[in-house]
Amino acid sequence: MSGKSLLGIDWRLARGSVLRDSLLRIPLLALAAFALLGLLLSGGANRFLASRYAITAVLRTPVPPGEGEGLARKVADLPPVRSAVYKHPEAAWKEFLLAYPGLDSLRGSGGNPIPGYIEIRLRPERLTAADVARVTSVLRAVGSVEKVLAGEEQLPRLLRVRRFANILSWGVFGAFAALLSLVFLFQERARAVALAPDFAFLAERGIPPGRVAACRAAGAAISVLLLSTLCVLLSGAVLRGILIRYPSLESLIGSPDDLLLLQTLSGLAAFLLCATGIAAASSLLGFRASRK
Amino acid sequence: MIEGFRLGVFSRGTTLWDGVDLAFGDGSAWVVLGPASSGKTILLSVLRGERQPDAGDVVVSGESLFRGSRSAARSFRASCGHVPDRFADAPGQTVGDLFRLSALAGGGMKGKELRERQEGLLSMVGLAAAGGWKLATLSTSERVRAALAAELLRGPRFLFCDGVVAGAGNTHREMLAGLFRALAREGNTIILAERQMPERWATAAGEGAPAGPFRVYRIPVPAVSGGGAGAGPGPEDAPDRKEALT
Repeated sequence: MSGKSLLGIDWRLARGSVLRDSLLRIPLLALAAFALLGLLLSGGANRFLASRYAITAVLRTPVPPGEGEGLARKVADLPPVRSAVYKHPEAAWKEFLLAYPGLDSLRGSGGNPIPGYIEIRLRPERLTAADVARVTSVLRAVGSVEKVLAGEEQLPRLLRVRRFANILSWGVFGAFAALLSLVFLFQERARAVALAPDFAFLAERGIPPGRVAACRAAGAAISVLLLSTLCVLLSGAVLRGILIRYPSLESLIGSPDDLLLLQTLSGLAAFLLCATGIAAASSLLGFRASRK
Repeated sequence: MIEGFRLGVFSRGTTLWDGVDLAFGDGSAWVVLGPASSGKTILLSVLRGERQPDAGDVVVSGESLFRGSRSAARSFRASCGHVPDRFADAPGQTVGDLFRLSALAGGGMKGKELRERQEGLLSMVGLAAAGGWKLATLSTSERVRAALAAELLRGPRFLFCDGVVAGAGNTHREMLAGLFRALAREGNTIILAERQMPERWATAAGEGAPAGPFRVYRIPVPAVSGGGAGAGPGPEDAPDRKEALT
């Protein structure tokens, strides 16, 4: 009896049950892959917070525009910084008026009262107290910077909320993954119990139960690997489509191009491996239950 | 050759039988006769290597089933067919499923070949076109014959049948006799466990030899010119195998 011929034993003996189980697994795996992709791209609440949080370096007046831009470029080179944009005093004045209309009279007494400034945004994964302190200390050491506004008093609370939001989002994903594992386990167990007389038949005819169990586990792993890959591709395509259609979601989830980042791909590979491993383990546990 | 030396089985706190010596030569058909609850089913499971006896040993072609190499024992079991006296069928399982399972136990078989051989074997045992029938709807006779046909799919070298002759019923006894004789002529060993032997079989088999609570009969297998050794019965051989045992 070759191992190869036993690899698809469940398919040969219980085709209907295998099909039913696979049909249930597809939406569950697709949902899990979609959620994981969303989490990998957004980092939970990291990207949202990073898109909302900015450090403002208010420049002394008068600072020539060239110097302001040069300083912004230098700040942008700092590792935690995603972007640093210099705002000319005139542009700052227009922004001020947009925010507070009707205050044009402030300029009447003697020129533009709003100074130029640099708006600095950090990378989502680098939005930490240490990195904020690092950037602000660099800025404060620059002579042309008058003041650094980083909301440092509120920052610890903000980071705490983000940590809770991340724990919650990953926790929900973990709970869903656990539910998925349970579904796998119940499906494999139910099928193995239903096939128990057939396994006994094979054992009576010289086929070691260990080989049957190993071949079933390998078959389950291969089938789930194929299903998961399909679901990951499907979810990736759907998420990419959504992000392209609704660009405003990029600040919450991320750019469609981030789907092909090494970090994202590594996370997906881990997902495929985990799903495969869980399927194999469920198959083995199911087989064990069928022999009791 | 299957030999049992000083076999003993203790069951339900008592000695079922002990010191039983048996020998079943290759290329022959045997009937082990014993009363109800004498341990015929246990004896067959011991001879198949399924259950280790509490005393004694079983030797197949010079190799101990229980004290020898595991691979040899496994290989022997892979060459065995077994028709039990009791069936636990899953609801919805069909005769075709039985053949698929048997094919799987035999290392797999292509769909078309499986269908062809299934049809041939089923018609040989009087169950033509029964492939789609649910096992739960079969009568005892039909179930026994379906199980026998499914076992023959793999062409087992050793065939163990527990109560098959009784289960198949009077109308199929002669067909079975012809079938077993044909299988034996091809070099296979058939061991039947029965409570009673059909009168015509008993007449042909003679006195038999006592072995513990059992009596072992060898069914005479007359040589047929041109009959060669093979892996098992095919549907094309069926008519030859329906010779009456007289």
